[in-house]
Amino acid sequence: MTEEIFGTHVFTGERSRRGYRLNKLSMSLTDPENRRRFLADESGYMRAMGLDEHETDMVRRRDWAAMIEHGGNIYLILKIAGTVGQTLLQMGAQMRGETLAQFMATRPGAAAGR
Amino acid sequence: MGRVIGGIGSSHAPSIAHAYDHKKQKDPLWAPLFDGYGPAKSWLAEQKPDLMIVLYNDHMNRFFFDAYPTFALGVGDVHRLADEGWGKRDFPDIPGDSDFGWHLARSLVADEFDPTICQEILIDHGILSILPLLWDAPWPAPIIPLAVNVIQHPLPTARRLFKLGQALRRAVETYPRDIRVVVMGTGGLSHQLHGQRFGFMNPEWDNRFLDLIESDPEALAAISHHEYMERGGAESVEMIMWLGMRAALGQKVRRVHRNYYAPLITGYGLLVLEGQG
Repeated sequence: MTEEIFGTHVFTGERSRRGYRLNKLSMSLTDPENRRRFLADESGYMRAMGLDEHETDMVRRRDWAAMIEHGGNIYLILKIAGTVGQTLLQMGAQMRGETLAQFMATRPGAAAGR
Repeated sequence: MGRVIGGIGSSHAPSIAHAYDHKKQKDPLWAPLFDGYGPAKSWLAEQKPDLMIVLYNDHMNRFFFDAYPTFALGVGDVHRLADEGWGKRDFPDIPGDSDFGWHLARSLVADEFDPTICQEILIDHGILSILPLLWDAPWPAPIIPLAVNVIQHPLPTARRLFKLGQALRRAVETYPRDIRVVVMGTGGLSHQLHGQRFGFMNPEWDNRFLDLIESDPEALAAISHHEYMERGGAESVEMIMWLGMRAALGQKVRRVHRNYYAPLITGYGLLVLEGQG
């Protein structure tokens, strides 16, 4: 499938293959003990999960846009965000290249006064 | 013989679970959502189905890409709740029905659908985010979870989901016991959770979808994934799961309830239908 919808990365087999390690790390964070270990030593945990320097760096920078670009699946990298205390709205604003305040002021629901 | 008495289409979202757990039911932002579930809850309380089949998707909690099923059926007598990465919610596990579950497995496979058969499955917000809005815990009837791949392309087509719904109806009607079954399809409506298009919604399309799922579901079965994603956002492709619910009801339906509310980044839809023979 071609990626012809603006601002959209359809999660294809190619992406799933490329993002496999990053996604596997994310999946491991459904275990509370793994979340504790990740928070105690992010770099060590990521090394042990086999992430390369590029992947480790994206996570360290909380660069959600880059993670998606790389093949991270949104439902999985959301688990990294949850572990480090970021919300989906914060991730979304960053992926749009906005601050959270900017996004909240211009999101579609805001026009309806909500 | 079993009978499909009705169907529910509903969005699912972590935001609903979060608002519920933080007691936002009366918050002006959230009240139109929670109040919208009142009539659906009353209908279920009146109908007292013997079990509910739920088409939903797992959000990378039970299944990972090491081996990702297109369809997965939970046949256990109890379904545990998932920790999605921020702790388990404080609800009891959900009862299943192994007798019906295995009947459904046999019937679907004979009908040329081949789900991964799971004696253990984990339930995430694909079901749990809305369950407390429809039923009070402890859960009054078993749920048969049927997970669909709407995440890793290639996905099953909308038409395939429609045919799956027809197969669900045949399975219920060949069950030897006189059970009354509700079929639910969850997901959508418009939303996009990733990329520069994050936050995209399309209330006009959502309402058109709600019209058509009732009156002309075959028209929705003919729409491509690409078109669903373009109209409603990439993650809105979940909407195809509503077709499984709708097709299980037969051709003619009566609408019991409909609600739509789009306050943030997801068009929250709810539809309750009864089959008309």
